[in-house]
Amino acid sequence: MYFLELAINGGLAGLMYSLVAMGIVLIYKSSSVPNLAQGALTMLGAYVVLAFAGSLGAPMWLAVPLAMATMFFLGIGIERVTLRRLAGRPIIMILMMTLGLDIFLRAATMTAWGGSGRPLRIGISDDPLFLGPLLLNRAYVVGAVVALVLFVAFVVFFRTRRGVVLRAISDDYVASWSVGISVERGVALSWALSSVTATIAGVLFGSIQSVDQSLALLLLKGITVAVLGGMDSLGGAILAGLLLGMLESVASGYLDPLLGGGTRDLVVAAMLILTIMIRPHGLFGRHDIERI
Amino acid sequence: MLYRQAGIFHTSYAADRALFPIPFERRAVFLLLLLALSAPWTLSSLALTSYVLPWLIWTAAVLGLNLILGWAGQFHFGYAAIMGIGAYASVHAARHGVPWEIAVVTGGLMATLVGVVFAFAALRVKGLYLALSTLAMQFVMDWVISHVPAISGGVSATLQAPPLRLLGQAITSEAGTYYVALAWCLLVTTFMLNLRRTALGRALVAVREKDYAAAVIGVPSFRFKLVAFAVSSFIGGVSGAILIFGFYHAVTPEQFAVNVSIELLAMVIVGGLGSIIGSYFGTAFILLLPGQINALIATLARLAGADLGVETLAHIPHMLYGALIIVVLLIEPMGLGKLYGNVRNYLMVWPFGYARK
Amino acid sequence: MRESDLNGGIASSGGAASAAASHALSVNNVEVIYDRVALAVKGISLEVPVGGMVALLGANGAGKSTTLKAISGLLAAERGQVTRGDIRFFGREINSLAPQARVRLGICQVLEGRRVFEHLTPDENLVAASALGSRQDLVRNRERVYTYFPRLYERRSAAAGFLSGGEQQMLAIGRALMTQPRLLMLDEPSLGLAPYLVAEIFGIVRQVNRQEGLSVLLVEQNAIAALEVVTTSYLMENGRIVMHDTAEAMKRNPDIQEFYLGGARGKNFHDIKHYSRRKRWLS
Repeated sequence: MYFLELAINGGLAGLMYSLVAMGIVLIYKSSSVPNLAQGALTMLGAYVVLAFAGSLGAPMWLAVPLAMATMFFLGIGIERVTLRRLAGRPIIMILMMTLGLDIFLRAATMTAWGGSGRPLRIGISDDPLFLGPLLLNRAYVVGAVVALVLFVAFVVFFRTRRGVVLRAISDDYVASWSVGISVERGVALSWALSSVTATIAGVLFGSIQSVDQSLALLLLKGITVAVLGGMDSLGGAILAGLLLGMLESVASGYLDPLLGGGTRDLVVAAMLILTIMIRPHGLFGRHDIERI
Repeated sequence: MLYRQAGIFHTSYAADRALFPIPFERRAVFLLLLLALSAPWTLSSLALTSYVLPWLIWTAAVLGLNLILGWAGQFHFGYAAIMGIGAYASVHAARHGVPWEIAVVTGGLMATLVGVVFAFAALRVKGLYLALSTLAMQFVMDWVISHVPAISGGVSATLQAPPLRLLGQAITSEAGTYYVALAWCLLVTTFMLNLRRTALGRALVAVREKDYAAAVIGVPSFRFKLVAFAVSSFIGGVSGAILIFGFYHAVTPEQFAVNVSIELLAMVIVGGLGSIIGSYFGTAFILLLPGQINALIATLARLAGADLGVETLAHIPHMLYGALIIVVLLIEPMGLGKLYGNVRNYLMVWPFGYARK
Repeated sequence: MRESDLNGGIASSGGAASAAASHALSVNNVEVIYDRVALAVKGISLEVPVGGMVALLGANGAGKSTTLKAISGLLAAERGQVTRGDIRFFGREINSLAPQARVRLGICQVLEGRRVFEHLTPDENLVAASALGSRQDLVRNRERVYTYFPRLYERRSAAAGFLSGGEQQMLAIGRALMTQPRLLMLDEPSLGLAPYLVAEIFGIVRQVNRQEGLSVLLVEQNAIAALEVVTTSYLMENGRIVMHDTAEAMKRNPDIQEFYLGGARGKNFHDIKHYSRRKRWLS
């Protein structure tokens, strides 16, 4: 019973990790950039919601969409200013740029809003849900549902004209140029969508663990899920999130008492190493790891 | 005007392959050495111990990371963990009575061992995946060091380092520690400078450019990648040891955590991948500049009468550090070393710049 | 022929303008450099008349693809630049336009090696190429493409990466047609295709050219197949144009037969050896 409860709650939390992973996958699919600033964007999104709700006094149902819109344009801005100049450069510089962004955004957020954690209430009650004899965290259930809904929304989007154009861009830049597709706009759009996803993730996680610096640490979980699922597969991100969440929860549930705590991060890191050793392109990744 | 190459005709291969073939540069390097040796008398105590000493030690570590990242082209996001292993191993060895020099070398060898064992597995992949696996290794090392009391002396424990001893003599003066750090830094720099004209250096560059092409012409790329990992891990381990013995005097797990790895990477990138003088510049930039600008901002704020809270001020250096990385990458992706190279090339032919394309 | 027309027109500016406007494409003395050091195209001039079908022949490395990319604007992707000369599309200079702008004006290049979007279905490939138009345009153009290439319609739901070479080439051309071009540029469409497929595809292109008045610039190594369908042709060697004539005249030209059409009928080995040594192309 304990095992099942751990597994289900872990799976639900894992689906929330998929939210962060989906943001990473969106950017990687279209521009081959592994966005290591995704954690910082998640955190920033939560803070922007707080800014709208707190200082500007907007009710939550208005603050969240406003924040999403702001982050949409911020994503476009970040791509235009920082990443576009480095297009075609060795990947180490691009990685470093995203790391620099991560550091800068985290510190800027701390400077602007201070380091103490703030609560973010979005109206989910604290009462647990009961599935038979199992105790489920209501916030996790809401988060998981949102993640699945977003996933379905993306699948639908990628069948529309704009979505097909984005998929074409991720297949072949030059061929896209040759038929008049604006690759620059497509990449900017994917960054914008990724920032919006990050905001949603930030809101959900912020409501659970309060909005502070630790939200940015979701990057490690997000990138592990993304690698496990395949860096360019949204469906893989969902499935991998489920798997990783369950694994992390169950393993730390049994190992924590033995090893004295902190095994969650260890499990995630070990999972990352194992994935890269055994199957680097993840469960559903389709691009080669190296193009000769 | 300054670098004039006119009139320099080498008459032997040795002269042609010298490290500094241009007399001006030879004299400049000699002058720098003199300055470095006389630093304990010319610089204030604060400058020596808080700025120049850590700068030299971190530069040595950054040169080691540059070896694997800039010369061999392999990603390493876990260099701080390697330094930490070297530090902890040498401190434990010294506490158990091993002579200091041997303790430091033990630290280096321990770091090499762990680095190579990990590299065996990690080098199956490349690029982003190698970066992620080294990052994961960093996390695992963090966890192991803080959760295994035998290594760390307990969770959040601080392990006191015994004093530095050369040939049995304890060296506790500032000048003494400074000279030890200077010696190590010069050793590593000389090694890296010579790399250009050795077979090892050429092999590493070949592996960096296209490893399968290198394998095709007879350079065993996997073996050389391992060699690069081993050598840079040794340098990192010894640098970590010297950092503890000479600067911190005590070792805690936080000193070699993930953010330190990222900081080292920033130093390499800002300085310029593969550039030796760039390593010096990059380290100085990242290590010293945020603090200086922060002090400047605080002074300006005080003058302007505005009151920036302590908390705000605490995060500004970090913000500057991130902004520095972004700005340098935008202006010159090849780093400060390239900027220096541009200036040098310009001065080489000034005022006849039109002669060189 | 065309050259004399143009020479006469250059005498007065009005004449030049009208001469230029009567051409769909007019390339004048264009020079292309890669990586700022490698001179690939050394000053070429060519014209494609409105509704005409023109071939650009030449061996490997002559600079034909480079010329096409200079016209369509895709040079930047390969670090190339047009350093001299100008390119006019229906009289309007397009040197400074981005690739998307040129596609919007009506120039579309079918890339060498097809370059279809492999993970999309043919239908989605066509949809992706219609990004610039309206919904009705999309439906109408898609109908048109499927009419020209019925085989594509049959395979419209499989991933494009699994199509055969010929089907991929048809898809690439169909995708270009979706952008409603006024000038279609084809880069080596016969690459790797069986001869009957080459004839079929070239036939469809000629059909499109005749039925819709679409101007076509065809770059080919396969001179035999190309000269069957075009009206005039240019010949490039080492980055320069060395010959320009009607297709009929080129087919009959003994030098072309010798070097590009596998000719040399009724000669003994001695004559062939001495002929090859005596002939020198302008380079």
